[in-house]
Amino acid sequence: MKILLAEDDFASRKFMDKYLSQYGECEVTVDGEEAVDAFMMALEDGEPYDLICLDVMMPVLDGYQVLKAIRDIEEEKKIPKENRAKVIMTTALNEERNVKMAFELGCEAYSGKPIDVEKFEKVLKKLGLI
Amino acid sequence: MAEEIKEELQEEDTQKGKFMTFQTGKEYFGISISYVNEIIVMQPITAIPEVEDYIKGLINLRGKIIPVIDVRTRFKMEPIEYTDRTCIIVINVKSTVIGLIVEKIAEVDTILDEDIVPPPTLGHKENEQNKYVYGLARTGNTVKLLIDPEKLIKDEDMEVIEEMQEEEQE
Amino acid sequence: MAEEFSTDGMLDMFLYESGQLLEKLEGIILEKKDEECFDDADINEIFRIMHTIKGSSGIMMYENITKVSHKLEDVFYYLRESHPDNVPHLELVEKVLIVSDFITGELDKIKDGNEADGSETAILEDLDEFLNRIKGEIKEQGIRLPKENKHEEPSQFYIAPVASEDSHFYQITIHYRNDTQMSNLRAYSATYALKEIAENLLYTPEDIITNEESAEVILAEGFHMLLQTKSSKEDVIKLIDSSEAEKIDFEEITAAEYGKGLTEIAQEEAPIIINLDDDKPEVKEEKKAPMPGDYVVKAKETGKGKTLAKNQPKQQSIISVNVEKMDALMDLIGEIVIAEAVVLQNPDLKVPGLELSNFYKASAQLSKITTELQEVIMSMRMMPLTNVFQKMKRIVFDVSRKLGKDIELEVIGENTEVDKNIIEHISDPLMHLVRNSVDHGIEENVEDRTALGKPEKGKITLEAKNEGGKVYISVKDDGKGLKKEKLYEKAKNNGLIGNKEITDFTDKEIYRFITLPGFSTKEVITEYSGRGVGMDVVVKNIQSIGGRLEIDSKEGFGSEMTLVIPLTLAIINGIVVQVGQSSFVIETASIKEFVRLSEDAIVKEPNGEEYIVLRGECYPFIRLNERYQLPDSQGKVDNGIVVVLEHEGQQVCILIDRLIQEQEIVVKPIPSYVKKVKGLSGCTQLGDGSIALILDIAGLIQGEERG
Repeated sequence: MKILLAEDDFASRKFMDKYLSQYGECEVTVDGEEAVDAFMMALEDGEPYDLICLDVMMPVLDGYQVLKAIRDIEEEKKIPKENRAKVIMTTALNEERNVKMAFELGCEAYSGKPIDVEKFEKVLKKLGLI
Repeated sequence: MAEEIKEELQEEDTQKGKFMTFQTGKEYFGISISYVNEIIVMQPITAIPEVEDYIKGLINLRGKIIPVIDVRTRFKMEPIEYTDRTCIIVINVKSTVIGLIVEKIAEVDTILDEDIVPPPTLGHKENEQNKYVYGLARTGNTVKLLIDPEKLIKDEDMEVIEEMQEEEQE
Repeated sequence: MAEEFSTDGMLDMFLYESGQLLEKLEGIILEKKDEECFDDADINEIFRIMHTIKGSSGIMMYENITKVSHKLEDVFYYLRESHPDNVPHLELVEKVLIVSDFITGELDKIKDGNEADGSETAILEDLDEFLNRIKGEIKEQGIRLPKENKHEEPSQFYIAPVASEDSHFYQITIHYRNDTQMSNLRAYSATYALKEIAENLLYTPEDIITNEESAEVILAEGFHMLLQTKSSKEDVIKLIDSSEAEKIDFEEITAAEYGKGLTEIAQEEAPIIINLDDDKPEVKEEKKAPMPGDYVVKAKETGKGKTLAKNQPKQQSIISVNVEKMDALMDLIGEIVIAEAVVLQNPDLKVPGLELSNFYKASAQLSKITTELQEVIMSMRMMPLTNVFQKMKRIVFDVSRKLGKDIELEVIGENTEVDKNIIEHISDPLMHLVRNSVDHGIEENVEDRTALGKPEKGKITLEAKNEGGKVYISVKDDGKGLKKEKLYEKAKNNGLIGNKEITDFTDKEIYRFITLPGFSTKEVITEYSGRGVGMDVVVKNIQSIGGRLEIDSKEGFGSEMTLVIPLTLAIINGIVVQVGQSSFVIETASIKEFVRLSEDAIVKEPNGEEYIVLRGECYPFIRLNERYQLPDSQGKVDNGIVVVLEHEGQQVCILIDRLIQEQEIVVKPIPSYVKKVKGLSGCTQLGDGSIALILDIAGLIQGEERG
């Protein structure tokens, strides 16, 4: 599986990169804009990401903006629902309204930080990624 | 100050073996300094009726109301007049804050563990204070009786007696 | 402090909403348990509740809750679609309660920070069996089975963070010595050392590496950090290089304070925001909800400190507040009331010849505000008794079913509001009273009831009302009532009342026997009440919050137990009086009158007891100075004042030297080290800093009776 990780915090990035790499090839960006670029690039190359993990608090574009951009692009390119990238938000912002907004914007899962690895894996299974 | 933090950390260590000693009558007593919050001068005391005679009453310590006990009365020794050298040692024993009225404060002494001998167990039964004294220490030319504050404030014998009395009454 | 407060808003919301739904569910069930069946509206509602819990627990990934609620939803799906007759209603009620108990139990585990690890298999099997029976019934009745209840797996999940409650939050400020070179780099090395243990670290100034001028800012204002970590204070301090530091301020703060960030100390800088929604302005019109773009982190070159582009929008008309903070506020207001008294009664004001009219005008305003302040905080702490009463409904249901008694519960006035502290204290006593009524009050045999012309179904009435600054909560049953002779015999046999005759006691006094320690009239100890530690504990608990228990009964027709409790504990209106050198406070509400009498009005019994005859009535008389051995008091009736006090219909007169004044009294407990003194309920600090003891009228009367 092909994974995109957008995370600006070095320690989190290192941890997530290492953790996600066991499931597949993990590419890393450090801000929101780069993440959207990477997503576009992968689409153009015909090798879209299966899983995208987005931090919320990031420079240039925040995670919500990235999520919205990704869904908008997929919509525009008429990518069928089942082929769209699965998006998991990873953030310490876990107030209900934050989570709700992310769900409304169309992410598949919202994970509080520090990440509960066990549940994270369960979600990956439920999403049919592993 | 950075030292301040370090001091705080070291406090536990520096307190070890340090005793606040005070004189009451002819005898000197010692109480581990880790229990001592502060020492204040004699305060106006509000007496509480119908309590043990050694509980002298309540004082207002900056808005906190705490009970004070007279150490001499507690040890069943003859009471003395309070003078301007009389002071109150405020101690905190497992979050119970109480004041001890003592005749006068002597000094802070360092007493090493090896200098502490257990009190004699025989022949002193009539001596009320022995119940609260866990050791004797000789420093300089005086012998100090080291008090266990936990026993001082929690006297199980007394409680049992009280409970029995209460039951009789009811 | 952190334990009580999960920092996870999503989890809080899930727990809160599910809790509310379950309460509602239980409400429906208990209301309808005695009917033939649920009506359509109930079935729909229960279906909806289960559906919602299923959905949200699915998102939150509590699978056992999802499965159980899913299964119960199925049951109600079939009920809703097919309307079968002959559904065993009581069994269904029981099943719903089992499910609701299971989910409540799991939610409690989650609340306490534990795994929701309850096994759901037994419940699922049970429900499956039940469901199959219903399906069979549906077929038998010739109704077509509806399509299988379609379930959509949740497509979105929420992963709760691990153990975020264990995190500590610290605010650290390092002040470097004025001559420190390159303080910005020292600051940076401090942040670097902390990164090892930090879950999150914010600091200001932020541009410490790139901007050499920040060194000056650090020297001038100190270097501020906010740290979230699992490490202890000591571990954190060890990591900070303090060699050049002059002072390190170190303070543990709450998660909420942490969330506010360093905004107050951070300098304002225009954030760089690129708004993706430029072409859709209508989206931005959303009131205050968070928006994409609200969480852009400031431009990177400022270093690693993160500040949100916008402050998180503040909204919501209701906030939840930590109870500890409420208590702290309450204490502070108590202090204000005392401080106000200190100012207004300051001895300096008594200097003759002072022109004080402006002072008094201003102080009247101050008094008004402090009174209002008290009222506001009091009202903030008021909570309706609804939840407590809801619990009682459940207890009546459970106990009456286990004992095989048919009992109807009527609830009146459940919206009555009481101070939160008090609610915590009455739940257990009330539960005890309700159990007693079900267990001992209502007759075992229906024949015993019909013989007296009472309906077969027992009735218990739970009523709350607010009257004259007190709250009355009564538990009334129409059962056996108390048998005076039996109570008397029992009390006598247990040696509780000595050798007095039954005629020596009034009815109320006899009823009161049941509150004596070591008294339990029930011969057979049942599971629900009568363990010998009974009513005396109830009475003790109620007295501890300044309340009392009233008992009334009519043999054969039931009894009524009434808890009379104060609205609030902390501040009372009291009159300060003086006896000798000591000050006492008497609660204004219990004072009937003040009289000046001469020594002739006193009747002295040979045994030393004294009485006052006032307008033909005879009252016990206590000279406070003698009772409490207070020196310096004249103790002369001619010079003193006699106060007539009333408590629970009993009167007592006390002799004092002088009235000082009426004022608001902040009740403080007598330190627990001092054993409980009969006749004193607490103490308070007066305007001059001295301490006054608060008289407990009930205790005085009791003491007098015993004497």
